[in-house]
Amino acid sequence: MSESKQMVIEMLSLVNPVESVSPDCALEDVVEYFSNPKYSKLLSLPVVENGRPIGVLSRYRFMDIYLKRYARELYGKKTIRNFINASPLLVELEQPLAEAAQHVSANMRFPLTEDFIVTRRGRYLGVGFVMDLLKAMEQKMRANTDELETAYTRLKSSQMALVQSEKMASLGQMVAGVAHEINTPLGYVQNNVSIGQELFLQIQTMLAEYESLVDKLLNEQSSEEQITTQMQLVAEMRGDVNTQEMLGEMHGLMADSLYGIEQISELVLNLKNFSRMDAAATDVVNVNDCIESALNIGRNVLKNKVEVVKHLGELPLISCAPSQLNQVFLNLFTNAAQAMEAQGVLTIRSWHDGAAVNISVADNGKGIPQENLVRIFDPFFTTKPVGEGTGLGLSISHQIIQQHGGEIRVDSQVGEGTCFYIKLPVSVTATTQAAPALPTMVGSNPKEMAYE
Amino acid sequence: MSKKTLLLIDDEERILRSLRMLFFVGYNVRMTTDPQEAIKILRDEKVHVIVSDQRMPTMQGSELLRIARDTSPATMRILLTGYSDLDASIASVNEGEVFRYLMKPWNADEVKKVVAEAAAIAESSFAVQSHVDTALDLPCDRPRVLIMDYDETTAKTVHDTLGDRCEIIWASDAQHAMEVLAKQDVSVVVSDLMLGDTNVGYILKTIKQLNPQTQCIVVTSFSDTSRLIELINQAQITRFLPKPVSTGILARNLESMLERFHLVRSQPALQKRQAVAPISSPQEKVLAGNFMGMLGRLRARISV
Repeated sequence: MSESKQMVIEMLSLVNPVESVSPDCALEDVVEYFSNPKYSKLLSLPVVENGRPIGVLSRYRFMDIYLKRYARELYGKKTIRNFINASPLLVELEQPLAEAAQHVSANMRFPLTEDFIVTRRGRYLGVGFVMDLLKAMEQKMRANTDELETAYTRLKSSQMALVQSEKMASLGQMVAGVAHEINTPLGYVQNNVSIGQELFLQIQTMLAEYESLVDKLLNEQSSEEQITTQMQLVAEMRGDVNTQEMLGEMHGLMADSLYGIEQISELVLNLKNFSRMDAAATDVVNVNDCIESALNIGRNVLKNKVEVVKHLGELPLISCAPSQLNQVFLNLFTNAAQAMEAQGVLTIRSWHDGAAVNISVADNGKGIPQENLVRIFDPFFTTKPVGEGTGLGLSISHQIIQQHGGEIRVDSQVGEGTCFYIKLPVSVTATTQAAPALPTMVGSNPKEMAYE
Repeated sequence: MSKKTLLLIDDEERILRSLRMLFFVGYNVRMTTDPQEAIKILRDEKVHVIVSDQRMPTMQGSELLRIARDTSPATMRILLTGYSDLDASIASVNEGEVFRYLMKPWNADEVKKVVAEAAAIAESSFAVQSHVDTALDLPCDRPRVLIMDYDETTAKTVHDTLGDRCEIIWASDAQHAMEVLAKQDVSVVVSDLMLGDTNVGYILKTIKQLNPQTQCIVVTSFSDTSRLIELINQAQITRFLPKPVSTGILARNLESMLERFHLVRSQPALQKRQAVAPISSPQEKVLAGNFMGMLGRLRARISV
């Protein structure tokens, strides 16, 4: 249904199509109208001439005149034209409800003595009651509020979906990075094994020929000729420099392969440590371990581009959601890497003072201008090109640190670099972590624990 | 016959050692972790095939291969990388003009085959280089440019740049393009990857199988790294320009591809340098097969 149609229907429900009164009606005849049950609800009579409303005569006004002494005699025969209020409240049928209500409430007089007249393109249609209009308006406003609330709920859930998708996006990026990093050791390990396999087959054949030679030598029935042929064959094989040299090299390749497998295991372990899918969501950990874990995962982004300088102090263990802190650190590291165009230096510090663990992450990248700096933790704020960032990374980091009862702030100088400071209380358990941690203890699956 | 020289560059020594063993028999293998050293080897020695990693600390592989193009044009260039990022693959086409884009981990037999093919092609390229005067001076038809792109700006740039020298055909859909190709060979193809809802990758692949002289420029906003890698290997596209592309850049590339076409045409030995790998996708194989069949029938009819 179109919006204007909807509007007309709303307004139409307010119209009482009572017959109008002519301005030439005598005042004394009006009594009949007012006492007619059809008009009983009306505060005022609509006065219409040639189809167009020219005024209203209210009960109030009528009484006012008629209660005067000799009024009946004096005015009874006069037409009501002389007594009507010539500027009635007029509402057009196709007017939006809100607009009509605004017009009526702005122009109505107290005490309320008149109804409003509804017209269609200026022609009389019926009478409307002010109270009905206001009620309808109130209902509509309530509906609007409901709508707003639904919209708000929807927005909230889509924001949550976005937060989730940001998480998945950074996770996806990270997994892709590590997968690629695995390709290098996988490349040479696979190649070495297939070379080894081929060489192994050659050696197997070679051994068989040697064995055959030994057999022939030991067998008294072997002819001289048979032995000579076999010896020549073996000699030829021994003379194959390639096989000899490859055999020598194979040692190195085996060692390389073992090294590569170790590398692959380490990468997989890093992934596991970072995601902590198999660990409890909350744990008592050393924040330095989170930093190292994020560095391991971010290596692919940082490699060849950033020199990492670590000054990690001795820290007390804190109770936190390590996978979330990992996410915050990875986010800061990759942002820093992206901010540094040429070879940059990423300086990570951690220290402990009193009741807090402190971490700073500084880069010597291009820095952030003041106008962006104040919005940096706002959701959806991003300076990256469309499609490259959701603008949620830092907003989520901010959320995570706040949930840990900590704080995160930023300093930046354009052209010099940016530094993020994180402060985490040592006893964080009391604030947010205790409650959600409870279900784990009663035996629910720790993997299902979700934090937002 | 002397052994062909293979130059390997990777920042991981273990990759080098492993590959060296793969080519131990039959090749003179040179290897280094330092791209500068590689450039020096290219300058001083006759290198048939260079196989380079992409991500290295001091230089990207595509950059090294671009230098290799200048330093030793006859050397065949292959990229072997564990990372499939779009920028790298675009650079490997436009700058490195690679013969193959191979992924780590690799299949030993496949890499052996590719390198052997490349080495043989390089050998004949070296031969051409030393007899420049053998260039054929063929009577030249007006070169034909086929546009497979809805985008008017592409068509306009092609007209403005080559309109005075070439016959230009603007194909509105895949069917039209195939009909054009059935009637005649084309010198340069400028194509988006999607024509309406048809992915025209298989047409580009077939064009190159049909006529290795044709130079393909892909102009597209479609960015899927694995598809691009397929197009490098199986269609030997010579340029990949992400949309929106500036008129200047497209014009410049049109000029150089037309020049390339003339060069390849006059030196048939160079055609092999753009030999394509077989189509890998089963669906595309079928589509290309049908297309080839149609071409065969149409061409037979035309020649009668």
